[in-house]
Amino acid sequence: MIALAASDPRYPRGLRDLARPPATLWLDGDTSALDGAAVAIVGTRRMTGYGERVARELAMACAGVGVVVVSGLAQGIDSSAHRGALDGGGKTVAVLGESIPVFRATVRGRRRPLVPRILACGALVSEFAAPFAARGWMFAQRDATIAALAQTVVVVEAGESSGALITAEHARRLGRKLYAVPGPLGSSASVGTNALIAQGHASALVSPDQLIRAAGVGHASSAGSQSQDPTSPDPLLDQLRDGPLSLDDLARRSRLPAEALSSRVAMLLVRGTLVSLPDGRLRRT
Amino acid sequence: MLNVLRVTGSSLAPRAVPAYRPEVPSAHALVAPTVRAMAVAAPPTVARIASCALWGLEAALVTVEVDVANGLPAFSIVGLPDAAVSEARERVRAAVRNSGFEFPLRRVVANLAPAERKKEGTGFELAIALGVLRATGQIAVEIGALCLGELALDGRVRPVRGVMPRVRGALGAGVTDVVCAAENAAEAAAAGAYAVGVTTLREAVAHLSGEAPRAPTAVPPSAPAPRAAVDLADISGHETPKRALEIAAAGGHSLLLVGPPGTGKTLLARALPGLMPPLDPDEAVIASAVHSVAGLVDPARPLLAARPFRAPHHTASHLALVGGGSPPRPGEVSLAHTGALFLDELPEFSRHVLDTLREPLEEGAITLSRAAAAATYPARVTLVAAMNPCPCGHAGDPAAACTCLPDAIERYHARLSGPLMDRIDLRVHVPRLAYEELRDEGRESSRVVRDRVLAARERMRARLAGTGRGSNAEMTVAEVRAHCRLDDAASALTREAMRSRRLSARGFHRVLRVARTLADLAGSDRIRGDDVALAVLLRGAA
Repeated sequence: MIALAASDPRYPRGLRDLARPPATLWLDGDTSALDGAAVAIVGTRRMTGYGERVARELAMACAGVGVVVVSGLAQGIDSSAHRGALDGGGKTVAVLGESIPVFRATVRGRRRPLVPRILACGALVSEFAAPFAARGWMFAQRDATIAALAQTVVVVEAGESSGALITAEHARRLGRKLYAVPGPLGSSASVGTNALIAQGHASALVSPDQLIRAAGVGHASSAGSQSQDPTSPDPLLDQLRDGPLSLDDLARRSRLPAEALSSRVAMLLVRGTLVSLPDGRLRRT
Repeated sequence: MLNVLRVTGSSLAPRAVPAYRPEVPSAHALVAPTVRAMAVAAPPTVARIASCALWGLEAALVTVEVDVANGLPAFSIVGLPDAAVSEARERVRAAVRNSGFEFPLRRVVANLAPAERKKEGTGFELAIALGVLRATGQIAVEIGALCLGELALDGRVRPVRGVMPRVRGALGAGVTDVVCAAENAAEAAAAGAYAVGVTTLREAVAHLSGEAPRAPTAVPPSAPAPRAAVDLADISGHETPKRALEIAAAGGHSLLLVGPPGTGKTLLARALPGLMPPLDPDEAVIASAVHSVAGLVDPARPLLAARPFRAPHHTASHLALVGGGSPPRPGEVSLAHTGALFLDELPEFSRHVLDTLREPLEEGAITLSRAAAAATYPARVTLVAAMNPCPCGHAGDPAAACTCLPDAIERYHARLSGPLMDRIDLRVHVPRLAYEELRDEGRESSRVVRDRVLAARERMRARLAGTGRGSNAEMTVAEVRAHCRLDDAASALTREAMRSRRLSARGFHRVLRVARTLADLAGSDRIRGDDVALAVLLRGAA
């Protein structure tokens, strides 16, 4: 772990835009991840299947054109964005709301295996060195840092009072390009993002390509366009784009006879294209 | 003492224990007590009465020997009695006196032979009292019947637990006559004995001495098969969960239903008894014997008519679930033997309690070892479990938003240990249905599905004939290899599954057992690709 003082040439320039830039930025991993174009992809922890897919596709598109994905390594959208960037072969920076050693000692669940992957292809950064667990204000301050580190900020899904809206607010104040992903009316996970668009605070983000152009790196390369292909070649997999389904739902939607369906799905399952969740539903990997 | 033995050396070798031979008259002498009454004259100094001890389901004849000798008045019971047996002294003394007989003011010793094993319970009291009466000449005939019963102080005979396995044990040893409490008589008759029920010690004496012989209790009629609580035709939609129920009923595979609250998981589970094949007579006796040991039989209809369906609450302790205590009593998993064990709200059970289920689920039996005694109870059950998909219950529910954080959902599922989940063959999602799906037409009734289940069970029975096992879930690995012939599509799928390491070796065998059941339900000798595919899907390879 290294400390980047404000005087350090490697100290990210974007942070100087903040009213009170952190005096020291602690970093574990690859320092070069802080250079170059960066897109922040943030959102609620209580994501839906739709949000998970969009965050992943946007992050993979960024990875495909060499744009660094910045997020907060929270559960939900943040993790999905980090995972998408890593799976797409790109770099990603996780901005933590507590000190790096405290986070690494306490993180559990699906985020734990993400930590070594991020250290290998990116960095964990934090402005905190305190040896205690995060307080609420630390997360709010971290949300501002995320906005400052990126040139473009995307809110994928946000509820009425999601922390992602704090990042959006700071992005606006700092003059970063702000996008929100429109969601279905009535979905509580999209109330905040739809409101950002309705109030004119954020532009509606309707395709990964639009994000790549906004990030200023021209058109998506072939690697990026592959992941953002909206129609998957397999109509069966297509049914599972927006989250997991039970076998009965899948049968109804794909209109395949039961035997044909179970054989196809079983083959996808043993090949690892699909996984079955603990509740018995099927999900795309 | 030990030092002496060490010096002599050879004394350390274990002593050969002679095989126990019950000291009872041969069966033909037992049939007509009135005839025998005339043959006997002087009272013997030592009376011998047959009784029976129980360790788990293992019964062994116990000869109650009573000796009345001159000396200071005393009454002692020897032969490794436990506290309840020792207390019998007071009840026997009072019951004998209050029945109008005389308790000898001499030195009375009752011995429970063989003396090397611990005896528990109150079932020996009737035999001890009759032994005292016989030894003092107050009963003039030899008593050849098995005597089981607890005594009240006023001389009434009270019922005891475990009459059915005891009587079965006695029948195996050649004793066919049984005298027991009236409440236990039907149970003894159902087990196949010539059973006479008595309400008081005096009645027992009058019967045995031939003064007022009583008619044997008729074998109780087997209860009519109960109507299933839930019929499949009552449940809308849920095609895959219903199919999984059919597979579980046919092959005895374990099933987990996962879905939001109120979608019908419990209803589906309660439909299972209506799909299971009827109990065959041998199974019924064993299952009823377990209930008898637990004291749970209906006195009038002691033989179970249908496969048991046990649904313990999630606050159950491991003693309640797998059995235990000293002496060890059967738990829910044994009471559900031959039937289904339903665990609703599976993650709410304590993890430690659930993990104790692993051995009985794998072995089909559980051995409870305690310092004083070990007991083995059968535990061949079809496990059915139900759970919510997340703590709030609404993950994947289109009608209500889930409020759980992703990590909380993961922790919820982590409450179920990997080894336990590995033993779940069928895991199905029970989704919330839209209104249109609630009005689906042409639902199959349980009767139709049960006919298919019965036909499939017949195929399994024929295949496993002579092994003592009757369903695909019980097949050994060798039997899986022998009986699970795959067609080309099926082998292609299993090859792919093994190659991609999405299936462990244990998982592979469990998939094949389910696929075998699917082929049996379809009436096919070969396992087809679709069978393996559905088995893999329902297991959820990952």
